[in-house]
Amino acid sequence: MMDPETQKNRNYLQQAWLVLLLGFLYGGALAGVHTSLAPRIAENRLQETLNVIPDLVPGAVIQQTEMLSIAGPGGQMERIYRTADAAGQHNGWVLVAAGQGFADRIEILVGLDPQFTTITGVYVLDQKETPGLGDDIRDAEFLDQFRGKSADIPLSVVKMSPSLPGEVQALTGATVSTWAVCDIVNQAIDQWRDPILDQQVSSASGTSSADEIP
Amino acid sequence: MAAASPTALERFLNGIIPENPVYRQLLGMCPVLAVTGAMKPALTMAAATAFVLICANLLISLIRGLLKPHLRILVFTMTIATFVTIADRFLAAYLYDMSKELGPYVPLIIANCLIISRCEICSSKQSVGVAFADGVGMSLGFALALASIATVREILGSGTWFGLTVLPSFWPTWGIMVLPPGAFLVLGLLLGLVEWIGHRRATST
Amino acid sequence: MDNVALLVQIFFGAALINNFVLHYFVGICPFLGVSRRIDMAFGMGCAVTFVISIAALLSWTFTYYILRPEAPLPAWFWRMAGGDPEVQIDLSVLSYIMYIFVIASSVQFVEMYVRRFFPPLYKSFGVFLPLITTNCAILFACLEIMKNLQDPTQLWGLPEALTLAVGGGVGFTLAIVLMAGIREELELCNIPKPLRGAGITLIVAGIMAMAFMGFTGVDQGIQNILNAMIE
Repeated sequence: MMDPETQKNRNYLQQAWLVLLLGFLYGGALAGVHTSLAPRIAENRLQETLNVIPDLVPGAVIQQTEMLSIAGPGGQMERIYRTADAAGQHNGWVLVAAGQGFADRIEILVGLDPQFTTITGVYVLDQKETPGLGDDIRDAEFLDQFRGKSADIPLSVVKMSPSLPGEVQALTGATVSTWAVCDIVNQAIDQWRDPILDQQVSSASGTSSADEIP
Repeated sequence: MAAASPTALERFLNGIIPENPVYRQLLGMCPVLAVTGAMKPALTMAAATAFVLICANLLISLIRGLLKPHLRILVFTMTIATFVTIADRFLAAYLYDMSKELGPYVPLIIANCLIISRCEICSSKQSVGVAFADGVGMSLGFALALASIATVREILGSGTWFGLTVLPSFWPTWGIMVLPPGAFLVLGLLLGLVEWIGHRRATST
Repeated sequence: MDNVALLVQIFFGAALINNFVLHYFVGICPFLGVSRRIDMAFGMGCAVTFVISIAALLSWTFTYYILRPEAPLPAWFWRMAGGDPEVQIDLSVLSYIMYIFVIASSVQFVEMYVRRFFPPLYKSFGVFLPLITTNCAILFACLEIMKNLQDPTQLWGLPEALTLAVGGGVGFTLAIVLMAGIREELELCNIPKPLRGAGITLIVAGIMAMAFMGFTGVDQGIQNILNAMIE
């Protein structure tokens, strides 16, 4: 005769052994999938940004680009990219920036020359603006306007074709989205100019804290 | 409930039209509306759902003799969630763009009532072969439904089909079709159409 | 103050602009099934709001401390077990399973608790509780919270997660109650036969979704008003 306590325990086991066994099996399967695919997924994420870098900074080569982690104004670490040409000569920066658009967050990349004087390119990584209106911010025609704009003059939006430097022509029916992109670019440049130019001085003297991408 | 369980062939054919998961049973509405703005994401979604549905059906059918009645929902959920995670990781690794576009709707397959209802109705009661046929049939039916909605929405909304331009350039694209309201309107009208055809068939015979 | 502005933005984003039902299409099953009468729709909405908040609380806690790549708890255990501290433990592959269990158990728990301590409340929405285990709105809220805990540069705290959940719940309630109101009137209309039931409901939902698109940008306006009030 078994005492009731043991019997109860055995009963639980009888009921639950299948669930436990499946739990272990599934756990094993997931661990396997994760270990085999995780590097590839991380690589995909990285490539998404790296692939557009040659468009953002003329002459930049993916293999020569370094990702830096620099403390932002809030104290947390943020990524920026230091680009270089095929000979390894430093030729620009790519900033990752985000802000509120008309519908949702917009995430963009901004390419700049080494001294932060000229914008060399802008690319939209992620957006959920209105299809047919606001989502035209992804179009090359719109983004080409930013190329060659001075980084010293804050960008502003005009509805007609721009006459002054620093003016960007609004997309028809999507002035808010256009302003959002300009604001994000302005903010990113403001935020990073001093930290990066300081960093550059220190890295020139050989104390770079850069993590090079393999 | 019929006295005799349906055979594999019946299960397979049922899934496609007579018991079409979307048009007849109104199951799995969330991806049906969310990812049908264009053909590519719609078919990727259909493939991911098919993978989960067929795998879950097979596995549940294999262990159906061991299932305890009150723990079966737990086992179904665990199985589905595992296969969904696997599908999600594979998409992220090999079809990164699609995985980004589908976003949260891949993990939301877990809450797709189509799969759990097939586990409950078919695979926990019938043999592996029948469960497999049922999974394939239901997946085809689901893919067909997604494709029909996506075809209407992509052609009218962007003038393209699978990304290829099909409408002449003077045709104004209907932006509303790729927006959320378009999904509701197209599905509502297509449901009405299917109902109407079914009704006419029934009265003419 | 930035924080309050973010919370306002999340709330209105989830409740009106990107309404869970009309923009993200989650929770469509109850939206079509339980929207015949206003009182039932309201009960369903309350049940969902309640469960979504509890699930958000739990899933934020689990994600923040255990599941995200930089989570503190697994790393601590790893080091206690003598593992190499350089190795990063990433348990995010388990998150979907974790969430579905969190949802299922919080539904169970809420049901027991409400039945035991608030019988009148249980009478009004208790019957809907078991139904919402498979409601994708709740899983969706968990996934959104997870998404915002992935990027170490902008981690969401608990207030943001809860605001999203409550906003989503309020948005769901609003949509389903409005729909129930319209459907009560539709009973008296002569609808073409093939469209009766789900068809006309979806078309009405489409028109509602168009109306809700008009809310886009409202969060910006409210933020501006808030900022003006502070200054």
